[in-house]
Amino acid sequence: MSEGNTVVSRDKSAGVERDTAQEKISYFSSVWAIVWKDLTTERHTRQLIGVMLVFALTAVVVFNFALFGNLSAAREAATGFLWVTILLAGTLGLNRSLISEQENRSMEAILISPVERSAIYLGKVISVTLFTLIMEFALVPIFIVLFNKPFWRPPVLAVLVLGTIGYVAAGVLVTSMSVQTKAREVLLPVLLLPLTLPSVLAAAQVTAALTAPVPASWNEIQFAVALVVAFDIFMLTAGFLTYNYVIED
Amino acid sequence: MTARLERMNLDRIVPILNILAVTMIIISLLVNFFYAPTETTMGNVQRIFYFHVGAAWVAAVGFFVALISGIAYLRKPANIWDTIAVASVEIGLVFTSMTIVSGSVWGRPAWNTWWIWSPRLTSITVLWLVYVAYFMLRGAVEDEDKRGRFAAVYVVAAFVTVIITFFSIRLLRDIHPVLFGEASEAAQGLQKFDGLASTKMVISLNISVLTFTVLFLAWLANRLRLQRLVDKVTDLKSQFMARYQG
Repeated sequence: MSEGNTVVSRDKSAGVERDTAQEKISYFSSVWAIVWKDLTTERHTRQLIGVMLVFALTAVVVFNFALFGNLSAAREAATGFLWVTILLAGTLGLNRSLISEQENRSMEAILISPVERSAIYLGKVISVTLFTLIMEFALVPIFIVLFNKPFWRPPVLAVLVLGTIGYVAAGVLVTSMSVQTKAREVLLPVLLLPLTLPSVLAAAQVTAALTAPVPASWNEIQFAVALVVAFDIFMLTAGFLTYNYVIED
Repeated sequence: MTARLERMNLDRIVPILNILAVTMIIISLLVNFFYAPTETTMGNVQRIFYFHVGAAWVAAVGFFVALISGIAYLRKPANIWDTIAVASVEIGLVFTSMTIVSGSVWGRPAWNTWWIWSPRLTSITVLWLVYVAYFMLRGAVEDEDKRGRFAAVYVVAAFVTVIITFFSIRLLRDIHPVLFGEASEAAQGLQKFDGLASTKMVISLNISVLTFTVLFLAWLANRLRLQRLVDKVTDLKSQFMARYQG
């Protein structure tokens, strides 16, 4: 009798283990599925990155108007331009990515499928970050040519990646809300830009320090970098924990 | 907790808090102008400082209360939490504006300019914008339940900005003085400030902060009572309509 019990319990525990193992796999594979879906859509439609990049180029041209072709002033302001361009193009990408989910009713389909809400969040953050980074890395050579500043330095690129992660982490959370309101895409910049500015300002400061003729040492920039990383972690955590309240129906 | 908050008898609490707040403001003004000594380098201008710190303190408390009630709302969606969050953000926003204005008045004699884009001043402006946007978000959602959820999620995300503001002064080189704790080594140099040189000043500051805290509670209670009245009127209106239309 007792032996039978242990057998049963052993079977049960084995079953539980198998279940959790399966859940783990399915969690990451569902994140991956969301990312893959977005990448495939983008490969077919080429809506997002193209629009972001063309907008970014337009923004650079507009900025040059403000400087009246003053080259030294342009060089001074180049880092600021880069980050402002990324922010504005980023709102375009975020809006496009989440509004198309609504228009095509694909968000409804995702919500019906047995996928954790936080997995949807992570998947979206990863895919939009990828799109924004592709846009940024296409933009950087143009900035190098136009402003003659060393944006190719690896630490600069690392800061771009870190800043973008936090921006998109907040962006996916806020955009998922704003597209469900009656103001839709109009609301996003008003909500998102102030929310992410502290991190972006720190990132822009680091970028400026790193592209100076004599690049800053690690000691000078470590606090600002820590600020950006802290923002990334906080925002990802906040989004991860609260996303199920945002797209609940 | 939620049920007790909903039942709370505000009609009795509000007058008591109002009287207490007014009395303490008078005391704190007297302390500010007659008890606190005149600072050596800044002179009488330094007296703004008690008001400035008090207002900044209430703003921080308001945003923190909003965060807590936002989290409470997400755990258990009761209207009272949403009301407390709105009230706290409203109060926090008013006191943030006061902090900015009083800081600017102080900045004129201290830095010889009304405004300077230093990290701290930039981040407080950003903070102000973040919480103004909170009302934009609320205004754009019609469904009450959705509005409560979105507002709560937003308030949680917005608090990250509050934290960054608090640390930015310790992390980046700034012209604004650090009052509590030490600035990091890289940030020192520009921030010489001996506003709290004497014990009398410390006492005055503490009285001022306490007064502003009571003022916050009084405002909050008044705002909650107001919301309760608004709800009552809406309720009566719909009862009236139901009775005479149907």
